[in-house]
Amino acid sequence: MNQSDTAAKEESVGKNESAMDVGDTNTNMTKQSTGRQLVAIVFLLALATKMFLLPIFLIQTPGRDAYIAMSVFGAFDLLLLVMILIAIKISRSDFFELLSSVIGKVGSKIAVSLVALFLLFKLNICVAEILTFYGTNVFTDFDTSLMIVVLLAFFTAVGTHTLRSLCRLNEILAPILVVCLAVLTVIVIMTAVDLANIFPAVRNGEKFVSGTFHHAAWTGDFTPLVLFIGRTKTKKHTGIYAAASGLIGTATAVFFAIVLSAAFGNVTMLVDSTTNLSSILQYTSGNVYGRLDMFSSILWSISVFMEASLFFYAVCRCITYVIGVNKHFAVSLGVCVAVYVVQVFAFLDLMRFSIIVSSYACSVIVPTAAFAISAAPLVCALINNGKQRRKSTEAKGDAH
Amino acid sequence: MKDRKKLLIYKILLFAFAFFIAFMPSTAMRSQEVNSRVIVEILGIDGKDKISLTAQYVMPTDSQESTGKDTVTVTGDTLTEAVETLNTALGRRAELGHCSMVIIGKDVDPSILGTLMTATDVTADVWLSAAEDNAEKLIGDITDFMSKTGATDADFIAYSARKAHIATNTLLGFLSDLGSASKSAYIPVVQMLEDCSGDGEQQGGESGGSGGESSGGTGGGQEQSGSSGGEGGGAEQKKNTGMCVDRLAVYADNARVGILERESARGVAWASAPIEKGIVVADIDYGGKTVKNVSGRLLKKYSSVKIDAKHERATVKIKAYIEPNGDKFNEIGSSNSEKANAALRAGFAKQIKHEVECAYADTVAVNCDPLFVGREFYRYAPDYYENGYVYANIKVDVEVNVAIK
Repeated sequence: MNQSDTAAKEESVGKNESAMDVGDTNTNMTKQSTGRQLVAIVFLLALATKMFLLPIFLIQTPGRDAYIAMSVFGAFDLLLLVMILIAIKISRSDFFELLSSVIGKVGSKIAVSLVALFLLFKLNICVAEILTFYGTNVFTDFDTSLMIVVLLAFFTAVGTHTLRSLCRLNEILAPILVVCLAVLTVIVIMTAVDLANIFPAVRNGEKFVSGTFHHAAWTGDFTPLVLFIGRTKTKKHTGIYAAASGLIGTATAVFFAIVLSAAFGNVTMLVDSTTNLSSILQYTSGNVYGRLDMFSSILWSISVFMEASLFFYAVCRCITYVIGVNKHFAVSLGVCVAVYVVQVFAFLDLMRFSIIVSSYACSVIVPTAAFAISAAPLVCALINNGKQRRKSTEAKGDAH
Repeated sequence: MKDRKKLLIYKILLFAFAFFIAFMPSTAMRSQEVNSRVIVEILGIDGKDKISLTAQYVMPTDSQESTGKDTVTVTGDTLTEAVETLNTALGRRAELGHCSMVIIGKDVDPSILGTLMTATDVTADVWLSAAEDNAEKLIGDITDFMSKTGATDADFIAYSARKAHIATNTLLGFLSDLGSASKSAYIPVVQMLEDCSGDGEQQGGESGGSGGESSGGTGGGQEQSGSSGGEGGGAEQKKNTGMCVDRLAVYADNARVGILERESARGVAWASAPIEKGIVVADIDYGGKTVKNVSGRLLKKYSSVKIDAKHERATVKIKAYIEPNGDKFNEIGSSNSEKANAALRAGFAKQIKHEVECAYADTVAVNCDPLFVGREFYRYAPDYYENGYVYANIKVDVEVNVAIK
């Protein structure tokens, strides 16, 4: 195959369906994301929902120790990220093929169904946060059940496009988000919040453990990256850069959690969903920066849209694999309907959302499932590589 | 249908939807919505068992010009009820998001300010001020003064926050201080400067109030009354000539426990407030004589509280960068600048130390801790704080280090 043929096929894959859909999953043409795009997506996933409403929810329970809980979640997710990155590095098959080769086709479909359920749940957490943030901070008089339609229209577009499109979109947005984060960081530092207010740490161990445990549903943000396995053009140090990107993203999220914990540590009962990064500035300075903070804050919130769309894309691809039919538009519509029903009839009441998400079951299942989803491709890749090594050794032995 | 056609239809539908959202009726009619609101600039809170809420407001009109400033006072059993009654009294939705200052009356329980932040549109960065007695009266006076001078919003308190030696506080800052281990907080007291010479303007009666009297309202039986002006003209009228912000109201355990006079208020500002500017005036001992009233301009200052739980001691450390000004310094420094600098450093340090010690002495007497000594003990010696800390038992030292620029 000459170079122009390869480019033409790559283009056709990018334009129409995912690589898996054209039935050619293990060639160079299936590489839908570059190493740089992977690094950008890892950075975004490390901090998007962790910097959104989670710090507020944490401050309401472990109080000024919220940043420690955030660090725990960050460390756990980084561990999962490393496992996925190793799988990306050592595997030449994609996620579905890996599972299928180890546990068989039926087993892999059952497993992928469970993965889809997990991702759908995470997607709903993301969407609920977006609606809460925009419903209370930006469009206060706008009907949420109507607002979600705009979001779902975007998701449908995401679902009918390829991973490559999503990666490119993220690649375009990532620099803007980084600039917004830099602006917010500078403003926050200049605001001179008394950071010593995070002390003393963990005075009430029981409350801290309970508060951390009941927010465990916010772990597993890197799980959609399993779709990048076998579909990313990696270079020698891509894994290291991606891990560093995740570390920086997590550190950023923890830094903002520290600032929020310091600013609101004494008045945890006053924190609600209208409290966001922008509120930090109201602590000491008065409004001396205009609304630059709000502008950056809103623009930065795009990152959560990106995370949600990545979860949406992952759910759609998992369902497509399970049903074995490449009807992406129909599948996207179906997932949209599911999200709409969950959001409007179950999660619209913030209290009900909190009860469900912080329930004992969610707090156990989500981190366990996140660990299993991240570990499974690594284990499968190791088994596959072992098999291949054995085969090649046997082949060499036969040749001799 | 081909994919390209599908995509085209999808794009058209998306564009149509975006167009609908952008120009839907509620968006298109937003200008009318603004006219249906009233902008509250200053809010005053009085009362303990029954809350009295006074609002200084302007009303936007169709011609894009606002009406003049006026005030209205309503009452309610709770703060949220009073805010609801405010809307009823004005016949429009009172827009509290633009409120730039909240004035607290003498008897107000400060814990209700949390409700102001969470249940209304008042933002957390609004400036707080204290009225020596009654917020309603003070807002009436401020409104009259602003009408005459054209001053807007809470310019004066914003100025004090950045350019003067005043310990100011925002709503969130105040609540955070009060919720800290020190359980203490401060707010600057605003009072009107009055000219009692007798040639003041006749102000009562003419300006009148806007609220008028109305019975009922949403809260049931709340009083509502106009309050701008309203007092009949007398033989000798007091004329408001400006505002004075040099004292501090201090709060502890959810009540106002006292008002610090100027010297102590300055002491609190040195130790606890992020002041940027200010003037220090000290008597300087130099060459065997005392030079009176040498002034210096504060350029920068850092403060911290170091604790020693073992010996129940705390040290308030202040580092101040001061630029001396005036002919008196030139007179002192002309012959021997090094000695003069040392004398100035010692003189300014002594004055600053004296002010901080005054603040400590005045506040410890009412068991209030605006220097936040207790907070530091809680942060760095939490076990001692929870088991044996008593503010009055702590020996507080003050260390001042002045650098002359």
